[in-house]
This record gives sequence, structure tokens and C-alpha cells, in this order.
Amino acid sequence: MEKKLWFSLFIIIAICLACTHTAGLSKPASYEFMVDIPEGWRKIDNNRYLLVTRENPFQQYILVQNRPIGKSFRHTKKKMQKAMLPEEAAQVVIDELISDQNLLNLRVLKNTPEIIKGFDGFKILYTYQDAEGHTYQTLYYGFIKEDTFFNLRFTASDRFHFQRDIEAFRHMLNSFEIIKAEAT
Amino acid sequence: MNMRLSKLFLHLSGLLLLAVATACSTHSKPEISLVPDVLLATEDEQMLWQKSEQEQRAFESNGLIYTDKELEDYLNQVVANLKPEDAPADLVIRVKVIKNPYLNAFAYPNGMIYIHSGLLARMDNEAQLAAVLAHELTHCIRRHALQAFRKYRNQPAFLIAIQQTLLKSKGLQALAHSMGVTGAMAAISGYARELEAEADLVGYEWAVQAGYNPKEALSLFDQMLSDIAQVGHEEPFFFGSHPKIRQRAENLQKSPMPANIDIRATHKRSELFLAKLDTLLLDNARLDIRLGRFQIARGGVDKYLRIKPDDTRAYFLLGEIHRQRGHNNDAKKALSYYSRAITLDPSYAAPHKAIGLIHYKKGQRALAKKFFESCLQLSPDSSDQAYIRGYLKQCTLSEEG
Repeated sequence: MEKKLWFSLFIIIAICLACTHTAGLSKPASYEFMVDIPEGWRKIDNNRYLLVTRENPFQQYILVQNRPIGKSFRHTKKKMQKAMLPEEAAQVVIDELISDQNLLNLRVLKNTPEIIKGFDGFKILYTYQDAEGHTYQTLYYGFIKEDTFFNLRFTASDRFHFQRDIEAFRHMLNSFEIIKAEAT
Repeated sequence: MNMRLSKLFLHLSGLLLLAVATACSTHSKPEISLVPDVLLATEDEQMLWQKSEQEQRAFESNGLIYTDKELEDYLNQVVANLKPEDAPADLVIRVKVIKNPYLNAFAYPNGMIYIHSGLLARMDNEAQLAAVLAHELTHCIRRHALQAFRKYRNQPAFLIAIQQTLLKSKGLQALAHSMGVTGAMAAISGYARELEAEADLVGYEWAVQAGYNPKEALSLFDQMLSDIAQVGHEEPFFFGSHPKIRQRAENLQKSPMPANIDIRATHKRSELFLAKLDTLLLDNARLDIRLGRFQIARGGVDKYLRIKPDDTRAYFLLGEIHRQRGHNNDAKKALSYYSRAITLDPSYAAPHKAIGLIHYKKGQRALAKKFFESCLQLSPDSSDQAYIRGYLKQCTLSEEG
């Protein structure tokens, strides 16, 4: 049992490292957020974004991030810009996903405009496989507010976990609030 | 490091332990430095082939293979012409293209050669293609993988070197994982310096023997050197990861021309080559646009326009390059390319929308509306219709306001 826990911990750290890897320097985001974590979900500590899971990140996770728009992505050299339309911002996200060859057989099922807490944004639904052949489905919401790109995404390992936990994601989405970052 | 890469490292570490164990268990046995004449006569070669086939199956099921039957047939024909007569008859050489804009080509020991769309798109003629394929063919025919395995199983440091190389090569980390250990060695770390040098020189000789202009191999090296200057050292694995690229070019320059070759009778076959690449040039340019490598994408589209000067999709892509790059005057240039695309094919919806977007962002809502409407008329079921309807709604509100 203890071995399993250590293994999970290793995997989680690996995921966190994968998600946070970026190149170049950027200013910290001007806006932060508050969100209500659903009951039964636990937070995985890191200071870059909020990552919560019900069982473990392999089954499902919700990630909420406030990202300075100048921050580089891992694969595409494109960056978010203040004046981008939601569709253009969505395109940058899709370009990053498609350029990531870790995401095998990636399929964008839906890419539509979406109002997120009063902000013009986008919603992307996509599926992909990992190298072991496991299929994942992700629902990705994003919008730009001034110099901050906010994104909230829910990833689940299969239809069962997606259907079961999508309500928890909606709960977090509804509770999402932007707050001005404290000057450092 | 990501999770999947971690797993590859676990595999590599496993191989490392295996190598150490093999080294210990075979300590008293003499080192075998030459490969046997008969293919697959030994257990270690059989194992390498089995591993290669497993890795290829996994790799090819991942949606990474570029499917173009005509192109694949052409590549196989070129490599078949390069194969020397004394090559093992049961070594079947096949070539496939990988959807990847980075510059690379690599061979598995069982004769499977993979070439990236990015490398093909950067070539100008068949003689350059032959130079690359002949290099990879040499790895297969001279059985470099087997030689490397026998040499390095006693040198676990080599596997550590692969890990270190992978850590530095962010562009190929994911691909490396998909390829497995054998592929990662061939594609990323390359073989030992002397084996790569042999592949350069022997491959060069075979390409010239097959009638290709030897200067083209060198001009490909020159082109890659200029690409390195443009995109940095991160990208060109095939050319930059083994002996340094300049050194390799110099080695080729110094190598003697094979006897009985009249350079005037050699060929490049530019037109045939570019005609076969055809759609790959645009597809690869799209990958470069996604990566934000607009200048490289532009090179691919320009090359395509040399074959098909009136292609509406190419002009649309030129428009996309400028609109997405967003430098000074880019919007103006993009508009001109989109307009050209519409002139060539008025029923092509995509440039209508793109022109609409440019006007929309400039606040020219009436003009934007006209183009969004024509886009929807031409393609009422397009996947981005929800966005277009949203823009139209805003345009109407502006008119009313």
C-alpha cells in the first residue's frame, strides 16, 4: 500500500512538472481567482495553479490557472495577447495541444464561444490518448482579462469519470471569481 | 520532465541495468566487434528486430504517420534504387513519413526508415532526399544498431548519454517516448561518431553511384546550417546531433568522388521531387504555423507556389502567416493574400472569414459583416459557425447602436 502511495506521489509530481514547464520570463499575473473546491475533492499543493482531484489525477482532475499573457507555452512560440478575440485565444491553446506529441491521436470535438462569469471566452472539448493507449477527455474554458489568461479545465480518464464528475467541475466554474492580485 | 518521458527513462534505466547485468555475465567472453554475414543469425540481432517491430507498431498507431500513398511509393522507389546489389536480400527497406515539422530522419535495424515532413519540406530535389535516405540505408545495411548494441552493452554510460540528450531536446521528448528505446537511440542520440561518419561517407558514395549529383548532399548541409542560424540548435537532430554539422560537411567535401562517375551525367530531379511532395508542403507549413514558426512556414508555402502558382489554399496560408504573426503591415499583407485566394476560388470560405476578422478587429464592422456573411453562405455548416454568428451579432448591434 505504501509503495502505491509513493508511486502515486511520483506520478503527481511528474504531472505537475509537465504542466508548469515554460520557457522565458514573464511578469506575474495581475489577477488571481477564488474558487470553491467541491466536497470530497482534495487539493494537490503547488504554487503555480490550483489542481484538485477526487481520487487521483489519473482518474480525473480540475486545473484552474491565471497565466500572465506574455508567458511562453511549451511547444508553440505563439503567445496570448491582450487584444485577442476568444477564438484567437482558443486557437493558441489548440495549436499548443496539437504541437504536443505527448497527446496522441488528439481530436478537438468542439470549439465554441462561451461567456465565463461575464467574460467573453471559449470552450474546447477534446480527447487524446497517452502512450499506454488510455483515452482522456478534457473540457477547457478560457478567457483573457487584460494581462491575464484564465483557464479552467476538467480532464477525466474515461466516460464514466467524465459523466460522474462533470457536475463538480460546473460547481467550481460557477463559484469562480476574479480578484485583483496583491502587489508584491 | 513529463510523466510519459519518465516512463521512457524507466525503460532506459531498465536497459541500463540489463546492460550492466549483461556486461557482468559476459565479462569473460571475447568482444564481438564484427557483425556476422548472415542477417538475424544471432540472438541479439533477432531481439533487436523484435523490439524494433514492437516499437514501430506502437509508434504508428499514435496518429503520427503522414499518409500519402503516392509519396510513400515514391520514397520507397528512391531508396530501392540506392540499395547496393550486395545488400542482404531479406533486408526489406521501407520508408514512411512522420507528421513533424522538425528536421529528422532515422532508421530502425529492421530496415524501417522514418523521415519527418519538416525535413522533406526543407529539401529542394531528389538528390538531397537520396543523400538522407542513403545515410539511413547505410545504418540498416551495415547493421549499425547491432554494432552499437554490442559495443555499448558494456558501456552503460551510453544509455545515460541518451537520457541526457533527451532532457535537452524538448522538441523530441514526446516523440522519443513514442518511438521506444531503439528508436530513441536511432533518432535522437544517433549512433557513435564513427558509425555516423561511415553512414555519411558510404551513403554519399551510394547516392553518387545511383546517379545523383554529389553537390546536392553538400548543399543540403549548407541549407541546414542556415536553418540552425535561424531557429537555433534545438531543432536539427539529423544534422546537428552527431558529429558536428560543419565537420560532417567538411568530411563529405574531402571524400573522393567514386570512380567512373561523370558529374555532368548526374541528376537532381527537382521537378519530380517537388511534384511528389505537393500537399505535404502545405500540411507541414500548417504545422509550422501552429508552432508560430512563421518564417519557416512561409518558406514551405513559397516552395509550393513554385509548383502550383495559382493555388488558393497556398495564398490563404500566406494570409494566415501574416495575420497570425501580427507585425507592422502584416494585416495589410494578409488582406492582399486573402483577396488573391478569393480571386482564384471565390467559393473558398476560409479567406472570407479571415478578412472579416481583420476588419472586425479594426472596428470596421460593416465590412466585417459582409465577409462573415459570405463565409457562412459558402460554408453554412463549418465548425466555427458559432464564432461567426457571434461576430455577426456584434456587427448588427454596432449598426443599431
